[in-house]
Amino acid sequence: MKNLFFIFKSAIDDFSRNKMRTFLTSLGILIGVFAVVVLIALGLGLKKYISDQFEAMGKDTIFLVPGKILSGGGFSGSASSFTGTFDNRDIETLKKVNNVVSVAPIALKSTKINGLLKEDFSDIMFSSESLLDVMGLEVDVGRFFDRSDVSKRAKVVVIGGKIAKDYYGNAEEAIGKKITVDDVKFTIIGVLKSKGGGGMGGPDYDSYLYGPYTTGFIFNPDKKFFRLSVKTVNENYVPQVKEDIKKEFLKRYKEEEFSIIEPTELLSAITSIFNVLNLILVAIAAISLVVGGIGIMNIMYVTVSDRIKEIGIRRAIGARKSDILSQFLAEAVLLSSIGGILGLGLAYLAVLSVQNLFPAYIDLTSVLLALGISSAIGITFGVFPARKAANLEPVEAIRYE
Amino acid sequence: MIKLANVSKEYVIDNEYTFYALKKANLEIKEKEFVSIMGPSGSGKSTLMHIVGLLDKPTTGKVYVDDKEISRISDDELSRLRNEFVGFVFQQFNLINKLTVLENVMLPTIYCRKELNFNPKERAISILTRFGLDKKLNSRPNKLSGGQQQRVAIARALIMKPKLILADEPTGNLDSKTGHEIMDLLTELNKKERITVVLVTHEIDIAEYARRIIKIRDGEVV
Ligand SMILES: Nc1ncnc2c1ncn2[C@@H]1O[C@H](COP(=O)(O)OP(=O)(O)OP(=O)(O)O)[C@@H](O)[C@H]1O
Ligand SMILES: [Mg+2]
Repeated sequence: MKNLFFIFKSAIDDFSRNKMRTFLTSLGILIGVFAVVVLIALGLGLKKYISDQFEAMGKDTIFLVPGKILSGGGFSGSASSFTGTFDNRDIETLKKVNNVVSVAPIALKSTKINGLLKEDFSDIMFSSESLLDVMGLEVDVGRFFDRSDVSKRAKVVVIGGKIAKDYYGNAEEAIGKKITVDDVKFTIIGVLKSKGGGGMGGPDYDSYLYGPYTTGFIFNPDKKFFRLSVKTVNENYVPQVKEDIKKEFLKRYKEEEFSIIEPTELLSAITSIFNVLNLILVAIAAISLVVGGIGIMNIMYVTVSDRIKEIGIRRAIGARKSDILSQFLAEAVLLSSIGGILGLGLAYLAVLSVQNLFPAYIDLTSVLLALGISSAIGITFGVFPARKAANLEPVEAIRYE
Repeated sequence: MIKLANVSKEYVIDNEYTFYALKKANLEIKEKEFVSIMGPSGSGKSTLMHIVGLLDKPTTGKVYVDDKEISRISDDELSRLRNEFVGFVFQQFNLINKLTVLENVMLPTIYCRKELNFNPKERAISILTRFGLDKKLNSRPNKLSGGQQQRVAIARALIMKPKLILADEPTGNLDSKTGHEIMDLLTELNKKERITVVLVTHEIDIAEYARRIIKIRDGEVV
């Protein structure tokens, strides 16, 4: 392949003579590769963000929710069966299941909160002391409520970092202060470490208040919970515990009235939805790659017509059809690769600039994909003009003026 | 070395009538010969030369290279023969202007798939030096005079050590003094290096450099 060097050199000579044309021709590929790589990077970032959130929740935890929300690996969407809610009897049932370490029932209330500096609406989550463990929360200042707070129905709350900042200025200021939740006074006993997150429709745990579920019955006279979190000894017990819980719950509920969810299961369901969404977006972006490819094909046809005489000369001195084919194919591939590399570089800069807002990142697969796609487009759309060049009759080409 | 038997080249004009650029031409070119092909414009000289140089194929009739009939030879094999055994020299020089003089001369070597028994660059430089072009190695061909360009074209024809040089009106675009210099060069190649030369021309004083003159009129060898 000693002529490979010559082929690429002559292609590059040609491009440097027509810099503007080369740039405009590869622009389509540039935009396409840029869009595809950026979208994949955002998708990867989103996936990482979600799995980080689940990671914090712990793999040894199981959730029970009313109705059937998961079926066959995806959300069934039949939220219509979101009827029943759990009560104290269910908590007792769960506590008796082997290898269950703790149970955290969860009731949510969205209500008016009155602090030192501010009065606004916020969410309060009522649960047991196990919530700290189950949700992977960490205390910054003060303490989390404990078992005795739960049994005493103490009017204490632990607040997210953002709430502390908004309502009291900072965490230290908030400790020991009163906060009014829907006209009931609570004492702030702890402030949580910031977990980040939120902002993408997901829950922002920094903006929550957390109180004992027994105290929460003030607002929840039916004593119902919309979710039960169960922590097992370790993740190896999850399948067995799941089976046992199912057996117990079927004594009281019908099969379709509750769902037992493993975080990993939920994660894979959510991930598969995002994968599909991302794939659709990437496919749309890929259309511009096709448009770019057509642009390259067009220019390559022009190039071939411009260089019929040159093709004739090369054939006369011994170039085979395949030599001519590879020459023009190499030019097309080089043209689209230039677009691909520039697009990739631009995507890298774009991803870099959003990285402190969002954990987007470009992985090796995207890099290889970008380079692979751009050269594949060069080949696909370059092959027709190149074949036209290769199939010219040598004598016609050399006589061409 | 090359034999044409009853070779015709037909062109169908406007789907109506058939035009014979060559009509049952018979011709044999022997090794180490110097032959001129003479005839008026449009008589089929270039057509004949292209067929002899394996650049074109006859419509009917047979072409033999060293007694081998070429209609059964693949396109790749014909390319190889053009590369290794034939060197073309054209009236319009037919150099590639975006390549340098040196690159033009070396160009045939990149299409050769067998091991070369010479270093392409060294050989190209030595031929160009012999032709007085050692100062022009990195120039673009279109910056050279006609005589210089034709010398570059001859250097390119020689690089692969061909057995046969086909020159189609090599002096057509040159003044008569430069034309005669080019003819002296071709004569020298024939005499000293025993390369077969086939020359196409319509000028009798150029044709007379050859020992044998073949005349052609309206596609027929006379
Ligand atoms: N592709 C073609 N289609 C139709 N006619 C053609 C074609 N190629 C050549 N001819 C005709 O064949 C005839 C011979 O052409 P050729 O080029 O061999 O002539 P020539 O003797 O070399 O002339 P000149 O001295 O002007 O170069 C001409 O009349 C030309 O018009
Ligand atoms: Mg001619």
